[in-house]
Amino acid sequence: MAEFLTPKNLVIKIVVCSAVLAVVMCLCALVGTQRISLENVLAGPGQGPGENTDYEIFVGVRIPRVILAALAGAALACAGVILQAILRNPLADPYILGISSGAGLGVIIAVLSGITWSFWAGSPITVFAFAGATLTVWLVWYIGHLAGKSQVTSLLLAGVVINAFFSAVIMFLTSILKSHQLRSTTLWLMGNITEKDPSVLWVSAVCILAGILGLFSICHRLNVLTFGQEEAKGLGVDPAKTRFAAFGLAAFITAIAVSLSGLIGFVGLIIPHAVRLVFGPDHRQLLPVSAIIGGAFLVIADTVARTIVAPAQLPVGVITAIAGGPFFLVLLAKYSRKVSWLK
Amino acid sequence: MILKKSWTLPTITIVCLSCVFGLYWAAASRKTFRLPTTTSPPKRIVSLAPNLTEILFALGLGENVVAVSNNCDWPAEAVSRKKVGTFWQPNTEAIIASKPDLVITLRFEQQKAVADTLNRLGYKVLTLKVEEIEELFTAIQKMGEAADCIERAEKLAGSIRKKTNDLQSKYGLANKVKTLWVVQVEPLRIAGRSTFVNEMLELAGGENAIGPTIGQYPQIGTEELLACGAEVIIQSAMGASNIDRQQQAAESFWSKFAALPAVKNNRIYVVNPDTALRLGPRLPEGIEIIARCLHPDTAMEKHNVALQTR
Repeated sequence: MAEFLTPKNLVIKIVVCSAVLAVVMCLCALVGTQRISLENVLAGPGQGPGENTDYEIFVGVRIPRVILAALAGAALACAGVILQAILRNPLADPYILGISSGAGLGVIIAVLSGITWSFWAGSPITVFAFAGATLTVWLVWYIGHLAGKSQVTSLLLAGVVINAFFSAVIMFLTSILKSHQLRSTTLWLMGNITEKDPSVLWVSAVCILAGILGLFSICHRLNVLTFGQEEAKGLGVDPAKTRFAAFGLAAFITAIAVSLSGLIGFVGLIIPHAVRLVFGPDHRQLLPVSAIIGGAFLVIADTVARTIVAPAQLPVGVITAIAGGPFFLVLLAKYSRKVSWLK
Repeated sequence: MILKKSWTLPTITIVCLSCVFGLYWAAASRKTFRLPTTTSPPKRIVSLAPNLTEILFALGLGENVVAVSNNCDWPAEAVSRKKVGTFWQPNTEAIIASKPDLVITLRFEQQKAVADTLNRLGYKVLTLKVEEIEELFTAIQKMGEAADCIERAEKLAGSIRKKTNDLQSKYGLANKVKTLWVVQVEPLRIAGRSTFVNEMLELAGGENAIGPTIGQYPQIGTEELLACGAEVIIQSAMGASNIDRQQQAAESFWSKFAALPAVKNNRIYVVNPDTALRLGPRLPEGIEIIARCLHPDTAMEKHNVALQTR
């Protein structure tokens, strides 16, 4: 890389990116199917529902949605960075180790069983998706470990096979779902952001931000790890421990993101690559910048999803793939000669 | 740690975010405890499902319906109402912007999420489950209570029940006609026994040609199809337009299963799903359409039946 990463340099980059994210979030909260005026929003809530609809739409619908999109985008982009690093595979994304199918299976079980209780204001779908994702990750990790020393390959294999197996179970279960349940699950599997209860949002925000901070604290070890296992040991970094911590935290934030917004594809794959192409491969910078850019990207994608076919809406996963693919290809064509993958 | 200083920034960010979240949460939860301000009958109703809209209009509340889902197309006046997103993905913003004092939704995941948000903001939401014929009557009753017109609701429910019973005594006592209700041809999907379509079939004097299945609308194989011995095939059209062309397409599709009695006797009917497959006040009409397909002798000639089903 051209320049050495200094703390000052990093702080400036993070501040600039955060400012961009803040501006994006504000602008997107002002855009929607209904035209609302900032003046009315600032006037505060009226006496009852329907009194000041602009305020209700802004505070009750758009802000939770924008925050949720930013959180999910940040979590997925971070998990993508981490998994690409520890698996040393540029095709890795947050879902490669079976989280998607595990969470999907959880959702279908929740829908099929018709459970209606809610746990800490989380709907059954959220709770089951989280449980499914966590259990699957644990299973993949456990089986990947059984296979022996060359963990990375066996981890990948275990992930791919468990993904395939759970997908088959999902197919079987969807074929016996009722029609309207089927539609709900399909939307979820395409990635669908809706308004959530503020307390759910709050809890998941704290968890995701804590997870990202935890990952940030081991970034320098990930840098060392990319030289190879033996070299890392020589430099005093325990590859197994680092990998375990990184994997656990990445899985945790992905599980939360997935349980909130369904399977939003592409963010976890292209954002880390795009940031790496533009800013370089140092993880101390790659991780926070990816988190912020990932959040901003998903906020924009969700805004497009909820306005483009107004008053109807599209699943946000459709937008991330349609918009993200070509954008990424342009970046790839422009920058790929400068950087080699995962150096 | 190489970058110790950079810790301060995330910490500050976290603290700031916590404050924003905390404030927002406090504001939102304060609203939750606000009681509904109105007790008078609702003047501005939003309906999120076609059958609920039909019930509202049948209850004489059409004047008060201010917004409906994109899928609500009956009665004709409903089409001119403001649209608030599809049945599958209602648009919360558009609902709030129409300033409703009663929102009526169906009970399934997508609409439940919207209902939760509206509830949290203090709006009055009525969530109904309408998946069986009996639930239709309960739904009408509940809507009558919510809109303060219980008498009209009872009258409407009573008249639908009476018409349904009349149809049952006219057609239901005849020989049961083995019927295959097709919802999709490629791959072949049919209505199973745990559906309201099946209830309608039985009221119209029919019998599902396929036995109990695991799924509600299962996919079936050729073997099962040939063995079922269906005497009549009813196929719900894809959309309400071009039913003539769909009838021709259906006849040519089924011609390869010439062994089926229904195909041999050319008893294949394509029906408009908006009339026949909507669990609302037009239920008796739906049953009658089916009954005419099943018992053309009791009703009239087949040719006319085909015309009537459109």
